[in-house]
Amino acid sequence: MDVKLINPFVDAFLNIMPQLGFQEIKKQNISLKGKNLKSNGVMLNIGIVGDIKGNVVYCLDIEGAKKIASTMMMGFPVTELDDMAQSAISELSNMLTANASTNFSESGVNINISTPTLIFGNDFEAKMNTDKVICIRILVDDIPIEINTAFEKL
Amino acid sequence: MRKIKIAIVDDSPFSISIIKDILLEKGYDVVGEAGSLEETIKVVIDTKPDMVTMDMTIPGTDGLECTRAIHSIDPNIKVLVISSMMDEEIVKKAKENKVSGYIQKPVDPEELNTVIERIIAGEELFNELKEIYFNVFREAFLDNMNRLTKTVPKCLEEKDTKENHHSRGVSIVVGIIGKFSGSMILDASYETVENIAKHVLKRDIKGREEALAVMGEFSNIVSGNACSILNRKNKVFGFRVAPPSIFHGNSLNISRTIVESKEVVSETIFGQVYLNVGFKRGEGEWM
Repeated sequence: MDVKLINPFVDAFLNIMPQLGFQEIKKQNISLKGKNLKSNGVMLNIGIVGDIKGNVVYCLDIEGAKKIASTMMMGFPVTELDDMAQSAISELSNMLTANASTNFSESGVNINISTPTLIFGNDFEAKMNTDKVICIRILVDDIPIEINTAFEKL
Repeated sequence: MRKIKIAIVDDSPFSISIIKDILLEKGYDVVGEAGSLEETIKVVIDTKPDMVTMDMTIPGTDGLECTRAIHSIDPNIKVLVISSMMDEEIVKKAKENKVSGYIQKPVDPEELNTVIERIIAGEELFNELKEIYFNVFREAFLDNMNRLTKTVPKCLEEKDTKENHHSRGVSIVVGIIGKFSGSMILDASYETVENIAKHVLKRDIKGREEALAVMGEFSNIVSGNACSILNRKNKVFGFRVAPPSIFHGNSLNISRTIVESKEVVSETIFGQVYLNVGFKRGEGEWM
């Protein structure tokens, strides 16, 4: 597993989340998954092309997504994942991945990112473009978030 | 070409007169001036400018609050900050508030003109894309359906996407990257996806996995073809596609809150296929 492909995403969380009012960002563990990812309720997909090609999919559950949206909106109560909350977490995935792309460029890897697509529901899964997916688990104020990266061979 | 309408927001009459002289000399139409939040709102409503130049320090408010007020009236109005202050922190805040450009006082006439031209060019390019992209994707979809299945699907009416899309079962997402970023979604039921796969492979499919893989490849071809056509129309677009991600299950919804997208449902002999494509307006490349 190439740390060079993981750290830019972890650093993005460390850079961005505190700016949005989150206190504690903890890296949990890193694991290798197959191409099928089971959803916990919410997935955000962003396409990547450049020196690396593939997708990053952020996964979390609906409760976690609502809590994050609420913190992003200065503590405004979020009782359901409505348009406003969807927009907030979509924008978050965009900010995180844009920051990761800046971090990549600092180590000489140039990438560009697509707009995020948010998928949510009670029962679905994702099939990624690669057979192996690197999963990084992060706790943001005790809300678990997975960063799943599916990059094609360089 | 139509004259670009610009309003000037600055609390100093001296600065206003300098900026105004430069803009008039460069051939822009200066439609109004404002020195407070209230005046800014009034000028923007009354004169409907294409662009507003914005000072950062204004008594009782600031350039960012005025920018947010302008965008709540019309998000398409471009705001160009002209301020004596310019540091990393304030530029970052400006960017977060969807400012399109930032230049420092004292104003250099050539720099001001270049920044305005760049903002307008980006805007026009996006409008050009908006005019053509959906048709190109729909044609690429129909063309490839025809090539692979020798059938011509019937497209229902195209419309702007207003609400979340409830998936028919299988949603394939393809990220698009270039001068503007965007994405394409193809959505169909498991049954439709399996029917298409059987027809394309000319045999029974080995299972759902295989059908999903065929549909993923089909999405890749459609989006790749469409992007090539767009790039041929204007090479500045420089679009490339990311590999498809396939989302599927019994209950999933697709949210498109932060891109302007269009959608169409087509009736194929295999069942309905939904196509959605959207791009995000650029926020300028001034950093």
